[in-house]
Amino acid sequence: MAVQFEEFFRVDRFPHVFCPGCGIGVVMNCFYRAFNDSGLNLKDTVFTGGIGCSSRVPMYINGDMLHTTHGRAIPFATGLKLANPKLKVVIFAGDGDIGAIGGNHLINGCRRNVDLTVICINNNTYGMTGGQMSTTTPHGYLSTTSPDGNPEYPFDLSKLAAAAGANYVARWTVRHVHELVKSMGKALQKRGFAFVEVASTCPTGFGRRNNMGDPVQQLEWLKSMSVRKEKMDEEEIDQMDLNLQGLISVGEFVDRDRPSLQDILSSKKSKVKP
Amino acid sequence: MKPDINSKYCKGCNICLFICPKGCYSKGTDFSELGYYVPRVSSPEKCFNHGRTGKMLCELCVLSCPDLAITWIEEG
Amino acid sequence: MPDPKPGIEFMQGNDACTEGALAAGLKFFAGYPITPSTEITERLAYRLPEKGGVFMQMEDELACISAIVGASWAGVKAMTATSGPGFSLMQEGIGYAAMTETPVVIVHVMRGGPSTGQPTMASQADIMQAKWGSHGDYQVIALAPFSVQESYDLTVEAFNLSEKYRVPTILLSDAEIAHMRGRIDIPARIDLVDRKELCSEKRGEAYKVPDKLVPPFATFGHGHRSFVTGMTHNAEGDIAPEDEKVQEELVRRINDKILKSQKDISRFEIVNPDAKKFIISYGSSALAAKDIAIEDEKVGLLRLKTIWPLPEEQILSVAHRARSILVVEMNKGQMVREVQRLAYSVGCKAVRFVSKLGGEAPRKKDILPVLKKMEG
Repeated sequence: MAVQFEEFFRVDRFPHVFCPGCGIGVVMNCFYRAFNDSGLNLKDTVFTGGIGCSSRVPMYINGDMLHTTHGRAIPFATGLKLANPKLKVVIFAGDGDIGAIGGNHLINGCRRNVDLTVICINNNTYGMTGGQMSTTTPHGYLSTTSPDGNPEYPFDLSKLAAAAGANYVARWTVRHVHELVKSMGKALQKRGFAFVEVASTCPTGFGRRNNMGDPVQQLEWLKSMSVRKEKMDEEEIDQMDLNLQGLISVGEFVDRDRPSLQDILSSKKSKVKP
Repeated sequence: MKPDINSKYCKGCNICLFICPKGCYSKGTDFSELGYYVPRVSSPEKCFNHGRTGKMLCELCVLSCPDLAITWIEEG
Repeated sequence: MPDPKPGIEFMQGNDACTEGALAAGLKFFAGYPITPSTEITERLAYRLPEKGGVFMQMEDELACISAIVGASWAGVKAMTATSGPGFSLMQEGIGYAAMTETPVVIVHVMRGGPSTGQPTMASQADIMQAKWGSHGDYQVIALAPFSVQESYDLTVEAFNLSEKYRVPTILLSDAEIAHMRGRIDIPARIDLVDRKELCSEKRGEAYKVPDKLVPPFATFGHGHRSFVTGMTHNAEGDIAPEDEKVQEELVRRINDKILKSQKDISRFEIVNPDAKKFIISYGSSALAAKDIAIEDEKVGLLRLKTIWPLPEEQILSVAHRARSILVVEMNKGQMVREVQRLAYSVGCKAVRFVSKLGGEAPRKKDILPVLKKMEG
């Protein structure tokens, strides 16, 4: 049964705290649609997040909510899920949370393949603290801690997750709302570690410093910078080249069915004599 | 159905104006109680969903709104 | 491997701690290999699944403390085991557990420090860290076993206290106690305490504190829509980081719930209560001290089993009665500062100190010469 808007969201806390034009709101919007399409039960779902703007999404959802420490949402969620496998655990986290301080937990989470759904909202910056560079800030772009342009190169978080063993990895931008709804739905139903990266807008932290202070400008930028995975395959473009030029490849990168950790553990249990 | 903007949520980012393929929206002219210029649904008849009920043909504005402010309401 | 039968057994301190945890109802363990606690992790790797629990080896200690807090919110008793370097990494998570009032047990088997130090030797240089390691004003409960028997008994106590007070509880063992092998009497029956569960499904009810101190626990997955966050939060289930009143009330309550319950939490042992010369000690430092007190009725011993909250009443009571106090510990002076503070406040200025560094527990020959020179 579809959950009504006022039942799903904590409307007593609306309007939400995110800036005008913030992509996080778009993700919330699409996630709500995907959740209803998936037929999941709100009572059995736990929403977790680390620290940062993206991690505040669970605070707006009317379910059990665990707002954890910076970068550690994945191990918290691992403990939750393995202690009570009946719970559906969804993680909302940003690029700094998951890709910097939480990097180790991301790759191990993918490797372990515990049944978790991770929505990584990548706005190329540390938004909550004012727009510092993050591990996904494109090369040469400005931030408060790279006033001369980022000297470093960014991570490709989706490729990291894919290489580390996640069962489902997809990346879309906030311009690809329909594909996003579909991918989030798939991720919610997937057994094992499902990772959906959303290239998002941050007009206040990132856009403003890089000549796209108007959210519409950053949306145009996102569309112009994205390349469909199918096109890459057709034209034999190296993913690494793409990443170094700051282009964003979008699509479903991995969709496999490696056994999830709780499946392996429960099959072991059935072998143990009482 | 036609789109309706909840002025208690809207923060005036104007993404709906930009994203609508049919030009149904135009810039707002009055401050809302939150202090933003809320866009106006100036041409609902241009919308793909004009005169339809049930499953909507296009929902770009609804899904792209960062403030979750747009819903479908009955026309008239 | 079957559960140890009630009666006399001979085992290692770490193994006793493991069996105590299992007897207390441990169902989720997340650990990382670190000397001298690794035996706990290894034993639980095969014992915990046998008992229907979940064992995880995580990628680092930050993941360990995070996972056990998550598991606790799913409604199970959870524990981790580590030593100095790992304990330092866990501080953020411990502060989080204190702020969110999550019952978890952390076994900290102290070893030589600072930094990598002496992985296989004992020390007691982390007792202050156990209380003050994380940022902010918070309380923890810390218990210090001094034998294989207490490694079992105090682990059970740690779980009970953690559940009752919804607070991270630390078992402050050390390399000597962890690795020693000795006699243990497995009890036939132990009393267990489980967290008080929330019954209502209305948000806000979770934070109504009936006895003004410990709120009932809103386990995830029961429809409570629990709002759990490390940010300052109010009773209505919302963050309120800029509300002075909410912050003050919250911080006072999470501290008061432990400080006001000292009577219930303080565990200690007294030998020769009427003596005028008193040793105050804990953990493996108290091994030799206890032998001395048993052999000489003129020497008293206050052996602290609870380190935090500090058993101030007991220490003050000794300071009132004794003419001189000797603190024996394996660090450069941590408990002695607390004892001095309390003793001076009641006019007892004769507080001496045996500081045993190097990694070996104090022997009688370290203590007796100092005792001889003391008044009493």
